Amino acid sequence: MTGKSKMENGKEKSRFLASLGMTIWRLWQGLREWSGDAAYEIYVQCATRQHAARVLSREEFYVEQLQRKYSRVNRCC
Amino acid sequence: MKRLLGIVVWVAVGALGAVALATIAWHRGEPINATWFVLAAACCYLVAYRLYSAFIAAKLLALDNTRATPAERRDDGRDFVPTNKWVLFGHHFAAIAGPGPLVGPTLAAQFGYLPGTLWLIAGAAFAGCVQDFVILFCSIRRDGKTLGEMAKDEVSKRGGFIAQLAVLAIMIILLGVVALVIVNALKSSPWATFTLAMTIPIALLLGVYLRYLRPGRVIEASVIGVALVMFVVVAGQWVADSPAWANKFTLGGVTLAFLLIAYGFAASALPVWLLLAPRDYLSAFIKAGAIFSLAAGILLVRPQVLMPPLTRFVDGNGPVFAGKIFPFCFITIACGAISGFHSLISSGTTPKMIQREGHARFIGYGAMLLESFVGVMAMVAACAMTPGVYFAINSPATIVGASPEAAAATISSWGYPLTASTMTRLAHAVGEQTLLNRAGGAPSLAVGMAQIFSSTIGGERLLSIWYHFAIMFEALFILTVLDAGTRVGRFMVQELLGRVWKPIGRMNWYPAIVLSSALIVAMWGYFLYQGVVDPLGGINSLWPLFGISNQLLAAVALVVATSILLKMGKLKWIWVTLGPMAWLVVITMTASYQKIFSANPRIGFLSYANALGAQIAAGKIPAEKIGEMQRVMFNQRLDAVVTAVLASMFLVLLVEAVADWHAILARGKAAVLHETPHVATQWVEGD
Repeated sequence: MTGKSKMENGKEKSRFLASLGMTIWRLWQGLREWSGDAAYEIYVQCATRQHAARVLSREEFYVEQLQRKYSRVNRCC
Repeated sequence: MKRLLGIVVWVAVGALGAVALATIAWHRGEPINATWFVLAAACCYLVAYRLYSAFIAAKLLALDNTRATPAERRDDGRDFVPTNKWVLFGHHFAAIAGPGPLVGPTLAAQFGYLPGTLWLIAGAAFAGCVQDFVILFCSIRRDGKTLGEMAKDEVSKRGGFIAQLAVLAIMIILLGVVALVIVNALKSSPWATFTLAMTIPIALLLGVYLRYLRPGRVIEASVIGVALVMFVVVAGQWVADSPAWANKFTLGGVTLAFLLIAYGFAASALPVWLLLAPRDYLSAFIKAGAIFSLAAGILLVRPQVLMPPLTRFVDGNGPVFAGKIFPFCFITIACGAISGFHSLISSGTTPKMIQREGHARFIGYGAMLLESFVGVMAMVAACAMTPGVYFAINSPATIVGASPEAAAATISSWGYPLTASTMTRLAHAVGEQTLLNRAGGAPSLAVGMAQIFSSTIGGERLLSIWYHFAIMFEALFILTVLDAGTRVGRFMVQELLGRVWKPIGRMNWYPAIVLSSALIVAMWGYFLYQGVVDPLGGINSLWPLFGISNQLLAAVALVVATSILLKMGKLKWIWVTLGPMAWLVVITMTASYQKIFSANPRIGFLSYANALGAQIAAGKIPAEKIGEMQRVMFNQRLDAVVTAVLASMFLVLLVEAVADWHAILARGKAAVLHETPHVATQWVEGD
């Protein structure tokens, strides 16, 4: 009985740790997406999905993306 | 059972909100605790979100989650990027929340805490959030088109051109006035000037890091940047303590104005990765941190609000800016209640990234509620200081006197007790030479924030660090608005001039870049300069001008929204956008009329110019000051013309729209909508 509950406790603990880990991972990914840190990875995924003829390098993408971002209103009063 | 529980919870939230609102509205005598403000605002926002936004989503807009959004149909990994709704909420909020919701409520605190707080809460729930939400929806249904494009398609060709001109005009006035806020915060302050100046080399360093060393690694670069900024906030104290260095960084208003103008030009003409983008990354992180800290500080400290609910300045003779509550409270607080500028974000990046139409409610309506909450916190921070101190910081020298003794005597005579030593001691405690005559909102908000923060961490000892942290964060994101705005303004100027002479419209032709950058900087620089030399403090003329233009842009957005809803056959619910639009027309037209024609020289641009002219004619102005006063007269007349032109442009658009509505409703004209056709989503529910 005790052994079983110990095992269940252990399982619960690892489930809890796994879900905690997943939450932290999601928060971190959210922060990366929000800040623009993950922009290149998102672009590459999209380009691969759509079989783009040429995929920009990280440097090329960074400069090109900034040019577009700051040529329209993106900050408010 | 679950439904019943839900009803009970929402009735309780509503009742709590009503009690909190009644408490702050009818409280008299003793100071009131800030917790009531937080409770009133939070409960009202929750109820507005739960009921009003749900009603708009279901009845008015009929959001359709089976319809593919532009992000799904045109997914390109660049502009059209399907984004998680929480991430997009953060994105949208970071884009809409600038210095406006901090400065406006701080200035409007001169009426007392009540008018501004009520307008922030009601304005957001019934006008600001509605505008952001509906325009976001309209843009989603039109492949992410901008407000100008929608005005052209749905109202008239001229409407589109007017919207474009209005955006440029508001941009120029906005940049001039926010630059003035920085100048008033930095003048004669070596600590703050050094800190802000150092953020430029820090941004350049991050620019090189992000471009060449670790391209696009925004988080690690921002962590380095934030650490360096914190260091220069502390290092500013060493500069202020060293007479030789302090001397170098003690600058007057005019010098600071020219430095800012030069900076704006550089940021617009230099490659975007070098200065503009890294500063923006840095400012986004610091902005999020500072707003979160302010909320946490208010909740932890629960300060007493010392400002009365209504001050004697409801009579229109306020020292910070002149004019009665109606219409000037509603003009002064634009961002936080309703801001036309938001419609540019709602019809810009956000509609291209939204995954589902249903998310528009949370992002459009919800993010604006949060911005309004920032406005309420700014109001609390400004009202938590002694009213006498608030008026001493925000009143121009021509009204209260330049010395601490004169200011204390004048302000005490108004019924807000203040001693000269209080101001001297406070200035010393925050590490400044003086805190007098710093109209603009930033320094008084910084004092309020520093007092709240230092009650939590560090006490009196850290007051000066917290003050300069607050000044740095406000100035940092004002600079971000300044450089990003100058660059966008440059593109607008190039586009407009390109219609007349094609080569100037070429975005990569260097002479065109330099010329258009110089032009846009000269335009906002002119407003900045006139604000710096204005004897009434500049804010008195320029902030209402900015408020009027921002609210006029909101009225343009609501006219476009009403036209679209009418064509969609939503006549029954049209009051949702028509109501706030009518209110904005009333306040902007009244304010424009008063700012141009009022006989009170502190309100009316023309009567101020005439009063100065009469003083010159009567020989009351010393000969060496006559040239300066003539320039002030010219500036006032220019402000009158700008106000009149903006108001007339809007009226033309309004008349065209109303004629179109009449034709549709009374004469059976076919209502042609320019929506993109319905495409069913390929994503399963819950994506």
